[in-house]
Amino acid sequence: MSDIVLEANGLAKRYGRRTWALQGIDLAIPRGGITALVGPNAAGKSTLIKTWVGFERPTRGGVTVAGVDPWRDRSGALAHLGYVAQSPALYDALSVDDHLELALMLRPGFDRDYAQARLEQLGIPLAQSARSLSGGQQAQVALALALGTRAEILLLDEPLASLDPLARREFLHVLTDAVRADGATALLSSHIVTDVEQACDRLVVLGVGRVLLLAPVAEALASHGIGTDGVAVDGAVASFAGPAGERLTLVRRAGPTGGDGLRPASLEEVVLGYLSSGRGPSAAEGRAA
Amino acid sequence: MTGVARWARLSLHLGRWEVLASVAGVALLTGLMLWFAWQLRMLAAGEPGCPDPHAYVPGCEAFAQRFQGLSGWAQGLLYLSWGAPFGMGLVLGVPIVAREIEGRTAGMAWTLSRSRAGWLRGRLVFAALVAVALLAVVVLASGILAGAIVPNLKLDRDFTWIGRRDWLIVARGLAALGIGVLVGAVVGRQLPGLLAAAFVSVLVFAGVSLAMDRWNETLAVVIDPYDTTDLVVEGSLGIGGGIELPSGELVSYAAITSDEQYQDETGAIYTRWDDETGRADPASFVGWDRVRIIPGRQYPLVVARASAVALGLGALAFGGATLAVRGRRPA
Repeated sequence: MSDIVLEANGLAKRYGRRTWALQGIDLAIPRGGITALVGPNAAGKSTLIKTWVGFERPTRGGVTVAGVDPWRDRSGALAHLGYVAQSPALYDALSVDDHLELALMLRPGFDRDYAQARLEQLGIPLAQSARSLSGGQQAQVALALALGTRAEILLLDEPLASLDPLARREFLHVLTDAVRADGATALLSSHIVTDVEQACDRLVVLGVGRVLLLAPVAEALASHGIGTDGVAVDGAVASFAGPAGERLTLVRRAGPTGGDGLRPASLEEVVLGYLSSGRGPSAAEGRAA
Repeated sequence: MTGVARWARLSLHLGRWEVLASVAGVALLTGLMLWFAWQLRMLAAGEPGCPDPHAYVPGCEAFAQRFQGLSGWAQGLLYLSWGAPFGMGLVLGVPIVAREIEGRTAGMAWTLSRSRAGWLRGRLVFAALVAVALLAVVVLASGILAGAIVPNLKLDRDFTWIGRRDWLIVARGLAALGIGVLVGAVVGRQLPGLLAAAFVSVLVFAGVSLAMDRWNETLAVVIDPYDTTDLVVEGSLGIGGGIELPSGELVSYAAITSDEQYQDETGAIYTRWDDETGRADPASFVGWDRVRIIPGRQYPLVVARASAVALGLGALAFGGATLAVRGRRPA
């Protein structure tokens, strides 16, 4: 069994005649853990996920899900996938329990008891109409449906975007809990770095249509430092404005931490640095650890 | 709960408004039909001396007038039963995919279900069963009403109100359902989808109707309209007429009237030599009046043909909808 569960090779996606959402994406997500797919709006995060789900056809290159090309064999790919859409939408006419019934009807092997137990833990009443649930509860129902598929891969397309901080934290807690318990692989796209910092094992920074960084979170933090006062140093990734307007420089360390005059970088600073750089050393290097 | 019961319950919940509208429409239509049928039968039963309300019978004039006044309204309902399958098919069909896309639930449904075709089939079968069940009620009620309007109507060998009181209603409903699903899947929005599907249906059924007319002409026979002994005319469908020339050629009235060679010096056209009145000079005699009819006995065949074509059209549309769903984005 391959250790790579999600792969993109030279993936490019164009909308219309001129708009490129993705340009030459090479990415390989290994089995297990949660990978954060981070980038600004219009970076192509949703397009990338939708290509894996089989909603979008690559203009060039290709993708695989557990070795299956979702555009050629959508059913085969979906058998490995659970999916939570951006701003997950539920059926207004159905109750939470009806959604579980629907999933049971649509998906062979759907684990209704498992999904129900997740929802009951969160105190979401099964008899309640989906229309009357809060945004956080709706996202939790969508997550429970995806988890109930017991799929080995979960693709979550910015499910946190419309949630308040408490709901976001609860969502991530359920997700990490489930992924670790089941040994699944999750890819969570978001543009809120602080939310994913605690939950994710790996980080993919997507610029406008390009992968800028692909690394385990711990490695990304350890291998980068922040230089202040605009001092030019070797390995500088990019300079960007700090919260007080000061110039910060993200530096990719060549060796062990310390002795280089750099302070540790936060994950947000790593992401900001790469988004400011618009270039991607790790992307060129290829594979995540 | 069994799988079938769960499927039916959830399908009903998902399409409750259109099912409710369809049930209400059919209940109103069939209720009115049965009420009129009952009124007409009561009226006829009250006048046992007037066996045929549509014929002139001395002493029955007042009864005939009342009966025909009431049956005029009742016949309007049969026009509605002609339109019912189109309306119901589109109302049930368009939202199946369009609402999922508009409401952004398609992404969830199409990933939970590994096969979009399987998902669509499940939704379609439910809508088709609802349409068949409700339209069957319309067929039965319209048959009862037609029998009440024309008491001696032989329902199975008479073209009167064809397509408004027979199983063609159900077949057309399924065809409209297929067109509705297909257009809804392509357009991806409910209201524009409904309007577009109505437009497409008009075009498609107008084309089909013309093609069916051509096909059914092969069943036509030519008869003498003045020959009252020829019972083949009973329940028949007239599809045109003309003049049979002494050579045996049948020429349309339009062709005759536009050609001076068939007219005498006054412009009159003599199509019938009447020995008793001597109305025409044999020298100016052109030919015999003829009409082309499809005999009433062919009614079951014509309905079966039209139903088969409608069902085929529906199947094609279902196939097209499946392709559209498989190829399209969920939002």
